[in-house]
Amino acid sequence: MDVTHSHGTPGQGPVPLGIPDPANPGAAVEQRRLGPLARLAPDPVKVVLNWGRRYSLWCFNFGLACCAIEFIAASMAKHDFIRMGVIPFAPGPRQADLMIVSGTVTDKMAPAVKRLYEQMPEPKYVISFGACANSGGPYWDSYSVTKGVDQIIPVDVYVPGCPPRPEALLQGILKLQEKIAAEDVPQRYAAPAAALRRPLQAAPAPAPAAEEGER
Amino acid sequence: MKFPGSGLAKGLAVTMRTMTRKTVTAQYPDVQPDLPPRSRGVIALLEENCTVCMLCARECPDWCIYIDSHKETLPAADPNARARTRNVLDRFAIDFSLCMYCGICIEVCPFDALFWSPEFEYAETDIRELTHERDRLREWMWTVPPPPAHDAAAEEPKEIAMARKAADKLAAAAAAAAAAAAEEGEQS
Repeated sequence: MDVTHSHGTPGQGPVPLGIPDPANPGAAVEQRRLGPLARLAPDPVKVVLNWGRRYSLWCFNFGLACCAIEFIAASMAKHDFIRMGVIPFAPGPRQADLMIVSGTVTDKMAPAVKRLYEQMPEPKYVISFGACANSGGPYWDSYSVTKGVDQIIPVDVYVPGCPPRPEALLQGILKLQEKIAAEDVPQRYAAPAAALRRPLQAAPAPAPAAEEGER
Repeated sequence: MKFPGSGLAKGLAVTMRTMTRKTVTAQYPDVQPDLPPRSRGVIALLEENCTVCMLCARECPDWCIYIDSHKETLPAADPNARARTRNVLDRFAIDFSLCMYCGICIEVCPFDALFWSPEFEYAETDIRELTHERDRLREWMWTVPPPPAHDAAAEEPKEIAMARKAADKLAAAAAAAAAAAAEEGEQS
């Protein structure tokens, strides 16, 4: 999958993929916009909107490793998260509200995760499912694994486990629904997207020649 | 051969067939799941048993256990004895966003300070809260189930066997003493 081609805008170079650049922290943050109607809506309308968002989470599964099996188990008849309004049949990211990243995100896969996340319409939510998606899990010291999907996209709920039980995913979904019910969408968009992320540690600047002698 | 409405009839037939069957869906948020024994949900810490030997932290394949401690000197109980040093636990934390639930820490713990608890409901909205500090790990201790019962045909636990042996010996000695006393009574 070629993820570096430009979006039909030749001459502008590749699309920024939002991979954190240690030399320039915060540059990868994308702009988030919200229409004036959502900002000016009265509170009862916002409650209704939140209620609608809460129980109609079309889900886009990013199944990358063994945790995806537990996700599939949660979507099947035994655990059946359609009971909670999570519908796992989104035709693609453009029709989805919720992305569930279940599995190890490798550095090779990270641009695709980022791109598909950006294709989802606002408001969008992310559940990080399993140890690998939370923080790299057993592969936190690997050369090729992203140390948590929250390094590239903002995550709303972290579900711990290796892999978590299907019920743990259901509980994560309940937690997300509580969060959606309590949230104020304009406030969510007023804050810069960087506020949703853990701050990135800047790489140490290359030492000047003068300090080189002291060491 | 296809006639109009055959798909509908097929679908309704499936509906009719499954209508009479028992449903399999677990009603999770309303009904707690029936977890299997020895289910691995979360690791609990009984910090009274911890001697800060660091075996768990060293054996952890993920290095997700953080232990800080210091040494304390206890004054000698009797003037001829020397002062004893003792380890005191300052911090015990397990990062459950990193933990791979292998249970090696529980296996290697020589003083039974770590236990499996079947609780799984601790999803968080902030990843830093997935690092459970010692008070939270101690709280999980209340959810640890009792160990499974021994097999009915199994050998007795060693401590019970020893205690029974000692009690039997005492009872035999008492019976012998009583018999001897009775014999003496008959002779006199």
